[in-house]
Amino acid sequence: MVLFVGFILVLFATYLAWLIYAAIKFPLPFVYNLRSLWGRKSSTLTTASAISLVVAIFIVVLSLAQGISKAFVTSGLPNQALVMRPSSRFELNSSITRDQARIIKSNPLVAKDNMNPIASAEVIVIKLFNKSDGVGSNITVRGMEVTGRSMRPQVKLVSGRWFQPGLSEVTVPVKMQLRFPELVVGRSFKMGGRQWDIVGTYDAAGSSFDSEIWSDVNDVMQAFKRETYSTVLVRLRSEDDLGSFTLQMEEEKRLKLEAVPERSYFKELTKAGDPIRIIGNLITVILSIGAMFSAMNTMYASVASRTKEIGTLRALGYRRREILASFQWEAIALCVLGGLGGSLLSFLADGIQTGTTSFDTFSDISFAFTITPRLLAQGLFFSVGMGILGGLLPAWRASNIPLTEAMKA
Amino acid sequence: MKFLHLVWKSLMRSKRRTFLILCTLILSVFLITILQSLLATLDAVSNKPTEGNRFVVRHKSGLTQFLPISYGEYLRQQPEVLAVANSQWFGGYYQDPKNFFANFANDETTMFQVFSDRISGLTEAEIKEYQRDRKGCIVGQILADKYGWKVGDTIPLTGTIFPMSPQLTIRGIFKGRMASEENTLYFHYKLLEEGVQFMKGKTGAFWIKTKTSDDIPRVANRIDTHFANSPVETMSEAENAFYLTFVKMLGNIGAIIHGVTIAVLIAITIVTVGTMSMAIKERTTEIAVLRAMGFSRARVLFLLMAEGLLLVTLGGALGIGLASLVAKILREILGSALIFLQDFRLANETILLCMGMALIIGFISTIIPALAATRRSIVEGLRAL
Amino acid sequence: MSQPTAPIIHIQSLAKSYFRETLEIPVLQGLDLDIPAGGFYALMGPSGSGKTTLLNLIAGIDRPTGGLLEVCGSNLNQLNDDELASWRNENIGFIFQNYNLIPVLNAFENIELPLLLTSLTRAQRKEKVEEVLSLVNLMDRRENYPRQLSGGQEQRVAIARAIVGNPKVLVADEPTGALDAKNADEILEMMQRLNEEFGKTILIVTHDPKAANCARHQVHLEKGILDKTVEVNR
Repeated sequence: MVLFVGFILVLFATYLAWLIYAAIKFPLPFVYNLRSLWGRKSSTLTTASAISLVVAIFIVVLSLAQGISKAFVTSGLPNQALVMRPSSRFELNSSITRDQARIIKSNPLVAKDNMNPIASAEVIVIKLFNKSDGVGSNITVRGMEVTGRSMRPQVKLVSGRWFQPGLSEVTVPVKMQLRFPELVVGRSFKMGGRQWDIVGTYDAAGSSFDSEIWSDVNDVMQAFKRETYSTVLVRLRSEDDLGSFTLQMEEEKRLKLEAVPERSYFKELTKAGDPIRIIGNLITVILSIGAMFSAMNTMYASVASRTKEIGTLRALGYRRREILASFQWEAIALCVLGGLGGSLLSFLADGIQTGTTSFDTFSDISFAFTITPRLLAQGLFFSVGMGILGGLLPAWRASNIPLTEAMKA
Repeated sequence: MKFLHLVWKSLMRSKRRTFLILCTLILSVFLITILQSLLATLDAVSNKPTEGNRFVVRHKSGLTQFLPISYGEYLRQQPEVLAVANSQWFGGYYQDPKNFFANFANDETTMFQVFSDRISGLTEAEIKEYQRDRKGCIVGQILADKYGWKVGDTIPLTGTIFPMSPQLTIRGIFKGRMASEENTLYFHYKLLEEGVQFMKGKTGAFWIKTKTSDDIPRVANRIDTHFANSPVETMSEAENAFYLTFVKMLGNIGAIIHGVTIAVLIAITIVTVGTMSMAIKERTTEIAVLRAMGFSRARVLFLLMAEGLLLVTLGGALGIGLASLVAKILREILGSALIFLQDFRLANETILLCMGMALIIGFISTIIPALAATRRSIVEGLRAL
Repeated sequence: MSQPTAPIIHIQSLAKSYFRETLEIPVLQGLDLDIPAGGFYALMGPSGSGKTTLLNLIAGIDRPTGGLLEVCGSNLNQLNDDELASWRNENIGFIFQNYNLIPVLNAFENIELPLLLTSLTRAQRKEKVEEVLSLVNLMDRRENYPRQLSGGQEQRVAIARAIVGNPKVLVADEPTGALDAKNADEILEMMQRLNEEFGKTILIVTHDPKAANCARHQVHLEKGILDKTVEVNR
């Protein structure tokens, strides 16, 4: 599969390289074709705007999928592991006793900072909040030890301050505030029979922590009358220790626990975005084929209306392949024009915050549509691809019109 | 009818062009049909044809929190209540995590009263046998067919949420009204309670059947008020409202689908206008000749419109046909990602809607160039070459 | 063949101007002409003399700016667009320089086109089409598409299409303009036959003296007015 994709890419690149070479060597027909796009304004415009819409959808779908993946992929550090109850799959389902947590933290493979293990015993609970549309949605509340904060270096305080242990305080993600109007610094809410004060906001750089509310582990456990932690997050001395640490967690008689590399844990969670991703991919594939047909139609019309010109060029001594290249360029230019339009259109969606729910944990996942230069480049690349594929057959036809017929027309 | 031949021949004037625009139309209609069906399927989730007199009581803070089973006592005491079944989503899988289907631990007796509409086709003896066997289970027909299960088979269910992996014996295979209902396995609630320490005396939800649907708001309100300000507060909602929260969880899928649909409609209209303009423009002289021959403006307009509408009708019909062909495959793919989509199908209303949209596109994109073409005077048309 | 008397086309002080923005360009200015039924008239004159405009007006595909125009018993000024369309269908047959056959229809279907507007049944239409097909000697070409026919054959199909509805008047704009001499002769011969045997009133616009000499009268136009009418001696 990889080989096949690689082969196609090489083929594409070679063809494109040859096209560029042809355009440089014989600039005349090339310029000629670009002018023809200008000359057929209404037809160029209709096709380009249809392609714009498709490219815009392509970019938005891509940004959606990336937003979801980013939420999870950037959440974990490579040298950290999550210790959970075996086969619990999600933090929420796991439980770890205080004794077990102590044993885990004392493991020699755990990194230390001033003699203190870099580890955080944490508890996960779910709390229902109202979204701005009035519908309730579950938010993960994570109670952690103070070390837990520094173990997630991507999380930065934006306003206010961090929660203090023992004071029933929470800090909330700034990205959630738009969708959940209750989450305002200075306000408080009821949870587990207690009042909790919102004392600050943080930004987790698009990671899944942007979908959580953070507080102190003991406060949360007391409020919910829980005796056990959910998980323990540990930092290992080195990434290479992951294997042996996992083994020790499993084999230690008092533990019998599962240690999962933090990265792979979050990778597993990206599945929450699957329904949206599947639908998104379906949409893009179908639309791009449709747009290609449309580009093909426009190009065929363009070829047909210029049979005579093609004949003249041929009579002047241009070879078939130069004609092919020039029409191929016309198609690419047409699609790139659409691509540029699509990039502009896609900015309409830039910055929109939205969310979906993980059906595994029944809790909310926030993510944003972010239009990045990389996405725009992908959109443009996509439109070049459409131009090449959509223009190939018409260009081929143009280069194969018999000279006699071309002159007669 | 005698003009149909003329219309058809005109449409086939440039076979390649017609073929390409047809392909574009087919794909767009296909896409819109699938997307709108998706939306309709999700809407149907919260619009189930239930008996209407069923509601759910769950923890106020959400489904991952549990209620004490002892609450059932109070629920049963309510005069409007006929039956109460405690129920818990088990979330187990068979052999491989990919084999994903709904499985619940339910009260083995009252569930047959509460869910009488969802479970049918079991004999009295089968129900008795299931109720007798603590490690028994009943499975839906589709599920049984999929894995080749028979009554008497023992199947392992691996828990994901709960630390328990029971071996269950199939005691009956039931029928449901919809695919999703038949893609379900039920086992004894007591087995869950026995197997999982922290579930002892707790349940995710109570499903309650009342005498009439009119009773529901009153009882639900009474229950929630009764448990208000206790450590575990309840949330009672009608069945459809309960499912609606699941659909809402997906996020704003409706907005995405409508957004894409509108974008596709605009794109396809632009493309079709372009194609029809091209097709009509190159016929300027012919149209003048037809009119000279005695075809009135209205008749020429009618012929051109018929051509455009024929094109979109073909595109629409083939697109919808294609969609219904792949509906089954999509049901599998989407159903495995999201359990509600196991009921994915093309509803008649959706088909009509999509066909209607195709016709509107055809109308708009033909009327613009067609009007321009028929307004032009004959003399002018004959001169244009 | 007796000389016809009652005029089938009666034109009195006919005027036609085109407007380019506010500028009025007169093409015909006060033209009188009577053409008797069964006549064969050639409209002649230099470019811009208004001969094609006159033909278009008589055929009812253009509207005069002033004057009286009676063709086949109808005052064309009093007909609305739709009435004019069905009037053309009944009374006028068109023959064009470029034949103007519908490329996607075969010979038979092209000829059948005007009949689709009538209430004739399929069988009746077939009978009529075959009748004119044999008249123009193209029975063996009935299934052929225009691009499969020679220029002369295409023009014969066009003539068949013009006469299939049995109109009283045939109008032809440069019917031989795109043909070689041999084919042109054939077409002209056919038109003469239609005039003599079938009593069709024929009007042709032409530059070709040979074509003009087939007509019985030559009407010369000069700058939008009638210059002279000459009777041709054959």
